[in-house]
Amino acid sequence: MVAERAGYTVTMFVVDVSKSMGATRTVALPPGPNGEERFAEMTHLQYALQYVKFKIQDMIYGARKTDQCGVVIFGTEETDNQINAQHGGYENVTEYIPIGTPSAATLRELDELEPSEVFGDPVDAMIVAVEAQNKHLGKKKTWTRKVILVTDGEGPIELEDWEATANKLNELTIALTVVGVDFDDQEFDYVQRDKPDFKRVNEEFFRNQFCPKVNDSVIGNLDRVLEQISLPDVKTSRSTLMNNVLRIGDVDTRTEEAMEILVKTCKCTSINRPKAFKKFAIRPKTAQEEEAEQQTMNADDGDENKVVTVTYAQLKARTEYYVDKSDGQEDEEEQVKTEEDGEPRPEDLEKVEKEELIRGFKYGTSYVPCPEGQFPKLPTKKGIDLIGFIPEKKFRREYAMGEVQYIWGNPDNPTAQCALSSVVQAMYEKGVLAVGRWVTGDGRDPRMGVMSPALFEKVHCLLWVPMPFADDVRKYTFPSLDELRNKKGEIVSEHAYLPTEKQLEAMDDFVDAMDLMQAGDKDEQGNRTEWLDIRDSYNPSFHRLKQAMFHCAVVSDLDTNPLPPPHPELLKYLNPPKKFVKKAQSTIDNCIKVFNIKHVPKVVKVARKDGHNHANDDDDEMLLLDRKPSTSKPSQSQSQAKISSKPAEDGSETEDDDEDGMLIDKAEPAPRPNPLPTPARSLNNDDDMDIDPQRDPDRVIGRTNPLADFRANLERGDIVTKVVEDMSAVIQEVILAPFASRRSKEMIECLIELREVCLQEDEVDAWNSFLPSLKRMCIDSSPGNKVFWSEVRNVGRALSLISDKEAEKNGGSSQFSEMQATEVFSEVNCDCSQGPIRIY
Amino acid sequence: MAPYDDWNRVDEDEEDELQDAAFFDAKKDVILFCIDCSPSMLALRPDPENETKNTSHLYAALNSAMNLQKRKVVTGPNDSFGILLFNTTRKPDTPRTQGSEIKKNMFLYQPIGPISAPTIQELIQLLNAAQEDSDEIQKQFPPCDSRVAMGDVFTSCNWVIRDGAPKTATKRVFLITDEDDPHPSSKQLKISAQTTLEDLAQAGVVVEPFFIQSEDRPFDVTKFYSSVLQTNAFADDVDSDPSILNQSISVSRIEDLLSQMKFREVAKRALFNIPFELAKGLTIGVKGYGLVTEQKKGEYKYFVDLGDRLEAATVKTGQLDEDRDVEVDKSNIVYGMAVVGAAPSNDDAEDDSMAATKVVKSGQRPFYTADEMRSFRTLGLEPGLKLLGFKPRDTLKFEDNVKHSLFLYPEENTYAGSKRTFSALLKSMIKKKVVGLARGVLRRNSTPTIYAVLPQEEDVDEMEPAGFHIIPLPFADDIRSAPIDEGYIASDDLKDKARAWINKMTIKSGYVPDSYPNPALAFHYDQLEASAFREEFNPDAFEDLTEPNVDLIHAKAGKLLKEWKVELADDHSATLVIPVTGSKRKSEDTSNDGIDVAEIKTRFESGSLMKLKVDQLKAFCRSQNLSTSGKKADLIQRVEDWCNSH
Repeated sequence: MVAERAGYTVTMFVVDVSKSMGATRTVALPPGPNGEERFAEMTHLQYALQYVKFKIQDMIYGARKTDQCGVVIFGTEETDNQINAQHGGYENVTEYIPIGTPSAATLRELDELEPSEVFGDPVDAMIVAVEAQNKHLGKKKTWTRKVILVTDGEGPIELEDWEATANKLNELTIALTVVGVDFDDQEFDYVQRDKPDFKRVNEEFFRNQFCPKVNDSVIGNLDRVLEQISLPDVKTSRSTLMNNVLRIGDVDTRTEEAMEILVKTCKCTSINRPKAFKKFAIRPKTAQEEEAEQQTMNADDGDENKVVTVTYAQLKARTEYYVDKSDGQEDEEEQVKTEEDGEPRPEDLEKVEKEELIRGFKYGTSYVPCPEGQFPKLPTKKGIDLIGFIPEKKFRREYAMGEVQYIWGNPDNPTAQCALSSVVQAMYEKGVLAVGRWVTGDGRDPRMGVMSPALFEKVHCLLWVPMPFADDVRKYTFPSLDELRNKKGEIVSEHAYLPTEKQLEAMDDFVDAMDLMQAGDKDEQGNRTEWLDIRDSYNPSFHRLKQAMFHCAVVSDLDTNPLPPPHPELLKYLNPPKKFVKKAQSTIDNCIKVFNIKHVPKVVKVARKDGHNHANDDDDEMLLLDRKPSTSKPSQSQSQAKISSKPAEDGSETEDDDEDGMLIDKAEPAPRPNPLPTPARSLNNDDDMDIDPQRDPDRVIGRTNPLADFRANLERGDIVTKVVEDMSAVIQEVILAPFASRRSKEMIECLIELREVCLQEDEVDAWNSFLPSLKRMCIDSSPGNKVFWSEVRNVGRALSLISDKEAEKNGGSSQFSEMQATEVFSEVNCDCSQGPIRIY
Repeated sequence: MAPYDDWNRVDEDEEDELQDAAFFDAKKDVILFCIDCSPSMLALRPDPENETKNTSHLYAALNSAMNLQKRKVVTGPNDSFGILLFNTTRKPDTPRTQGSEIKKNMFLYQPIGPISAPTIQELIQLLNAAQEDSDEIQKQFPPCDSRVAMGDVFTSCNWVIRDGAPKTATKRVFLITDEDDPHPSSKQLKISAQTTLEDLAQAGVVVEPFFIQSEDRPFDVTKFYSSVLQTNAFADDVDSDPSILNQSISVSRIEDLLSQMKFREVAKRALFNIPFELAKGLTIGVKGYGLVTEQKKGEYKYFVDLGDRLEAATVKTGQLDEDRDVEVDKSNIVYGMAVVGAAPSNDDAEDDSMAATKVVKSGQRPFYTADEMRSFRTLGLEPGLKLLGFKPRDTLKFEDNVKHSLFLYPEENTYAGSKRTFSALLKSMIKKKVVGLARGVLRRNSTPTIYAVLPQEEDVDEMEPAGFHIIPLPFADDIRSAPIDEGYIASDDLKDKARAWINKMTIKSGYVPDSYPNPALAFHYDQLEASAFREEFNPDAFEDLTEPNVDLIHAKAGKLLKEWKVELADDHSATLVIPVTGSKRKSEDTSNDGIDVAEIKTRFESGSLMKLKVDQLKAFCRSQNLSTSGKKADLIQRVEDWCNSH
């Protein structure tokens, strides 16, 4: 598609305001807040003006001085036009709005139009419009000329000499659009019933005689046109060509071996941002206004037309500068504080005028004044310097940093075109891209970039994309996804973070099923086409905002006349096609199954002020709220827990256990006294709570109230291994912490419950390795807690190792006999065959 | 001219896109260098860069610290630094009355404070002195006989940071040592190191170790540090499984210290943390990072001269009802198009002279609320990525680009199982050579965008992490059509001649950003630094590394370039008249008056340029990228200038 030259257009609107345009019609509005149907009554003229106003708004929105328009109306009681003034005739035609760049005032004037009591001739009006347009443009050949006629075709038309008018339109290469109120439209499948005969004749005149005679003309029904303009409209703007030069080698001193190719550059992609909305606020009434209003209200008591009004004022941004003139002799600490709080105390601030300010930069804490606003710039010379070529395969697509530019050989210089073409072809053949340094003008900052050869059918050019400087690349370290090492430094081959063979296969199937190359509609040959073409993708946000802006400019109340829903075209690429997803559903379901991703519920903190109290049911209830219904029945939790700790069906117990462990890893880290500003905060993930449960990031059990956490987590059922592990760790930490004696009773309680759970939930080994380790920590380490160990010993059998007999009773096994079970309490250090293994 | 930022600033309210720069500025980073002063760190070794000189690990460490501070002026001007030395008998010069009291045999060389010219200069002076006399550092920081317990080191770090770091900052300790086993015989000391490190972690401080190894002295992390550092909570990797060894422990040679630090120069912060829906019911968690973002010059600030000092001015921007001179609270602002149908009283007034107003009946609402605006912008979508499907890798075109990419890495905290799923997806996409397409709203107020999801394979040697790059694709609205559709095509002979010199100019390694530091930025900061240090700036000493290496080009490809030029001159098109007669873009009236370079030169030499028509002169100017404005005399002047220089 050849783009029109943006702007440089004069559009003449020729609008019928004849008597017949005063007839009313019912127009459907977007559904109300409760989905109810709503209608509005308006005249044909008001309805037709919607179209004209929309067109003019589009011009205002584009804000091009060279996009101009004028309005000629016909059917007016008076006559006011240039031709009439000079030659007479052309009655009931008024040049309503002279040609110019439209503004809000243009729309306002259109709003004031009312249907008249007489009729006017559309051909006369067109002649007036064309004449005015021609006079305005004079000899400017390159401007685009348009005439848009809006009429209901119910007035009489002088059918003499119309061909001369059509010829005149052709002579001036004017594009004509005829928009008819209730015109029959085959494409739109619309036929007006009870159409008056003279209207039919007029319509036929336009459709079969006048328009075919005009080279560039369209005719359409108003409803259809209004529907069409609600479609998002992509403005294909042609970019301006900029002069530059592609330099190879040293052109100053080694001219013979160096080359300068004269080129023109222009944008290939350029982000099209929505126009900014203006800001408004209700202007409060002054006391006087209030009073005046009150008085008029009282005075015109009987007059029902008097209404209370609200004024919205458009706002403007104002920047003010303040300085802290308070004595700078404050001690250092104070300064740190103000720095920390971001802003100095308001009472010290004093307003300063902008003129008094000095511009400058900060170098850390030092201020470096620089009145110019910047230092002398790097001396550079305009041009694109060729640095070298890189293999196409080495090009890192993710480095491309910005908008793309075309580089053309100067269209007026065949040598330049040839030279560039030879380079482009050679690059294409060799499979290389060029690296260059681009300076837009002398003294401008350089940019690095990469150029790719582009071979169009009849012209060769380069495409440029900016690449990062060393300063633009941030180097972060990320843990490896494939190579996990355990604490001994050995590579782990099975882990919850690593996908299994089965999972990899499922993902392969998924990727195949979600192939978009066959997801589009069928073409003429019945072959499925590709889905999602960005060349056909509207920026939903851009068009939605534009639609909203237009809408609020024409309606006075958004509550009764809300914005219609977005055009379906805007939404088409927001989700994959339904049919396509349906076809892939089996692979999706398989992935859901084998990957078993779990949304981690926000762990409800179970902290209470009286930390020693037992957990009560309320806490469990709180937890339940966050859980999926299937796991929420407390009666099931026990059995579920058992199942999960047995070897999983697919034979990989470790994996399953890891699963459990992982689930808890996801627990929201407890807020620390100094919470780190992690980005998650912006998503409002913060838990608000009074007491720090002292739950470490990877734990489900905190040190504040371990027993409550322990019970609450067991309720969840599927994470027993992790719960046991964390409980063991927490107990060790608590008893080794200062002032542990205060909590020994609580810890003994914890131990008893822990042992009970280990016994019942087949975590016998966990307990049996934990107990000796606990003993060592108490006795051997320093400071240790020998007192606590003796208390454990006093409890005796209820806290001993779990024996084989005990284990068997509960469906487990143990390597310790009844005798050995209590040996751990003997003074002689028992031989703990197993070291302190951390289970995960 | 005002800096670019001043007039090209996107209104943040209107378009709250990823303003990563602002985002990073908002958070302060505090780095405490904690450097070992043991005899082995002080031991003199031959300087690899200067054979006549000796250097030490400590010198290199301090030098790195200084360089990092300088770099931070650019990347994080609000950040703070401190330097703590351990295993030295140096005593504080002045007994401290308040603030950090630190353990024995430790010396706080620079307390934590914002980057400042004097402290950097102090460090530079020390380094210069050490250049002169290689024993200087040892004199300044004499080593002590026995090693300080690492637990004491960590405790001191904690105290120093507590005293000097703002609460909300990210706090890091850069631990530099070459001793892999500080306490070989004492389990006790190891445990105390562990505990004190835990305290540090509790205070939100992360220890980033830089372990130095040399050929004669390898560094074995497993001896002491791998177990000690286990408790080290990495601010960003809180989800890391405790059973897995922390990989961020780097061991490097002293020469690589600075480049290693570069990796950690900016505290790793995610820009967003959002769900990534692969399909309904199949959602994983991902975090997004900006790995390539344009680093701009810092904006200038406004200062007030108070006579004795400069004070930075606080800038406040408010929205104002101009007629009333009242500032309006943000929550009361509504949005709409520039006013249509102003109040009747305004009818006669000039439109621009007064604040535009819109009068409506009481109870009517003509403008949108901020919430409505947000819903228009996001189309009601919540932050998140949604996979649309896959396409072959080669469907992602070079020209489909408008903005820099972002990097995705899995996150386990919200969706358990994200890592394995992410990893499987990555492997599958690499295997099948496909790119993903996804629709994303990355932040609460940002616009929906379609992204190409480009997998990146992990490369441990090159420090390339596994993950996805997401590349924002242009919409149809952003794509401009090509304005030129016809031009001269070079012959095969000419193409072959071009290929000959292209062959000689190939950079095999590809585009390596590190080779091209931004010269404009460096030029600016060099001047700023000179100004801050009260030194003279010498622009001639400035080296621009992005300029082409013309000597090399001529040495390798000079002859071939010449041959290509000769061939070009012989090419049929070079002798054609200008402008191109065959081109349909040219308007007809100028095409007949074309003139070629040879004629211009002849006429120039014979002084008969005056005889040419204005149209001919203009055509020539156009073909040489010269301006065509002005009178005939201007055009002739321009053509003469051209002839003189060609």
